[in-house]
Amino acid sequence: MPIPVYAFTGFLEAGKTKFIQETLEDERFNSGERTLLLVCEEGEEEYDLTTYPHKTVYLETIDDQDAVTTEELERLRKKHAAERVVVELNGMKQIGPFYQKMPRDWQIAQEVMFADATTILSYNANMRALVVDKLSGAEMVVFNRMTRTTDKMPLHKLARALNRRIDIVYDYTDGTTEFDDIQDPLPFDLNAPVVEIKDEDYALWYRDISEEPKKYLGKTVRFKAQAARLKNEKSGMFAPGRFVMTCCEADITFMGLPCKYADSAKLPVRSWVTVTATVDVRFHALYRGVGPILTALCVEPAAPAAQEVATF
Amino acid sequence: MTRIDIYSGFLGAGKTTLIKKMIKEAYSGEKLVLIENEFGEIGIDGGFMKEAGIQITEMNSGCICCSLVGDFGKALKEVIHTYHPDRILIEPSGVGKLSDVMLAVRNAAEHEAVLGNCVTVADATKCKMYMKNFGEFYNNQIEAASCIVLSRTDAVAPEKLKAAVELLRQHNGKAALVTTPWDELTGAQLRQAMESAPAIEEEMERLLEEEHHHHDHDGCCHDHDHDHEHEHEHEHEHHDHDDCHEHDHEHHHDHDDCCHDHDHEHHHHHHADEVFTSWGRETTQKFSEEELRTALAALDDTWKYGMVLRAKGIVQSRDGSWLHFDHVPGEADVRHGTAEVIGRLCVIGSKLDEDAIAELFGL
Repeated sequence: MPIPVYAFTGFLEAGKTKFIQETLEDERFNSGERTLLLVCEEGEEEYDLTTYPHKTVYLETIDDQDAVTTEELERLRKKHAAERVVVELNGMKQIGPFYQKMPRDWQIAQEVMFADATTILSYNANMRALVVDKLSGAEMVVFNRMTRTTDKMPLHKLARALNRRIDIVYDYTDGTTEFDDIQDPLPFDLNAPVVEIKDEDYALWYRDISEEPKKYLGKTVRFKAQAARLKNEKSGMFAPGRFVMTCCEADITFMGLPCKYADSAKLPVRSWVTVTATVDVRFHALYRGVGPILTALCVEPAAPAAQEVATF
Repeated sequence: MTRIDIYSGFLGAGKTTLIKKMIKEAYSGEKLVLIENEFGEIGIDGGFMKEAGIQITEMNSGCICCSLVGDFGKALKEVIHTYHPDRILIEPSGVGKLSDVMLAVRNAAEHEAVLGNCVTVADATKCKMYMKNFGEFYNNQIEAASCIVLSRTDAVAPEKLKAAVELLRQHNGKAALVTTPWDELTGAQLRQAMESAPAIEEEMERLLEEEHHHHDHDGCCHDHDHDHEHEHEHEHEHHDHDDCHEHDHEHHHDHDDCCHDHDHEHHHHHHADEVFTSWGRETTQKFSEEELRTALAALDDTWKYGMVLRAKGIVQSRDGSWLHFDHVPGEADVRHGTAEVIGRLCVIGSKLDEDAIAELFGL
């Protein structure tokens, strides 16, 4: 039987404990399942197990999230014969290493991030990597401590740019909550005869076409990129793409798309080109499945983009 | 030689506010450069800097995963060569280690600059929680600091402030500690706290030194002291026993009522600290004037506290003002005075019962 894991992430004082406490007090979530409550962060709020409708919640504290081992996690679960796990993760640590250490039968059922609207933008400016880490994997983010004068847009953009599918909830100090329904029109016209991608929109477009290639099936696109070779590829193919930075210099990655082009061998690696191509969706080893495959109509030399590294 | 001061501290601790105060009040007349490695909530605005004649350099690597060292060293050298400032203020990223910044400064500017104050600003309302959950980098900021300036001390309960101070002291016993709300202090006072050893140690040294000199130059019996003893005899029953013959062996100094031993002792004790011990505490505790006077008067109880020669200090009064005291047995001098960066109490004497004294002051 797999063990569902409910993970709550976010920085100190973001409201994780309060939310978990209230959730476990709720009969709808706590109907007597044996629950291991793992706490990797100890803030001002404290858990009160006496108020739960069923006394089958077992709290264990993990002092150092980075140092915990798979064996330790397994031992804690067995100790309480827990059927499920609720974990409050430490905001100053990366989530990935913890997930990797979870025993095989533990499965993430839900990952929710909490963020204090009054501090998250400052944290993002100074601890971008940690904010990216929390937002990019979560199914839902709750921005709390909102007031009626708080500007939603910077928060919306922060979350949406990192995670297309994330549900965004605004939690106001007056007790009301609001679901984010802000539409994000793409900055390019998909119905134009040639879909023109501006240099500054490359990263956004790359993510869009990677996530929803079918939307682009049969369309013609034009974008500026650098030429790259594909591994194990016959001639007649190359990969136009750009270096994209998500967080900071440490995470710069080349993001390119396979493109059929008869004269590909003549293109110097890393040279800048403007590519006009049609889009097909087919199997490619690069995707280990289906993905967008371009067929070049025209490849012309171009001046480098003003900002060589693309960002979201 | 350029002097480099570092103002570290976690996001939101109040680094920028403190730096602004220091620029306005403590560094006037100096040619300053500010290097910011953090994107603050309250940025230091250009207008203010222009008015103050300060160069501002931003370094865009405020992210925890980016290394500070390489570019930082280069930028620092460049700043020194371009502006030849008297002082460079560095506001590093709130999530970095202070020791890394110190090392980078030393490596980069070994010959052109000298590392000055390493200040860490810590939020009094949060430092316990941060220490517990942040671990390494936060503790490093505390441990490497030469001065720890607490912020929001007026927004925290006295017990919590006391606990925070104790916790910080466990990690750093040497740094000067500032617990007084900043608006009660001048930039000059803060600067002095940052630049010198903790006031408490200085004060204890000074008192011992004073007593030593006092002692050296004193003749034998001192009528003055003697008189005091007698004036207050009625209040202090134990003092009766201290008189002359019975307890000579307990007394080593000029408060002794009897002289016959005194000269003899004197020869052996040219170093005051061989005879006298000192007890000193920093404190955030508040006292009413009356409480303080009562406690000081109680110090005359030789049986309970040992032979107190002098007690001196500055503590915050319950009404927020500051009480300065200088007490010799039987004569307490308590007056109102200027604020200090942290309250402090020093007692010197011989055979002091430190626990009893601490208890007397509620510490």
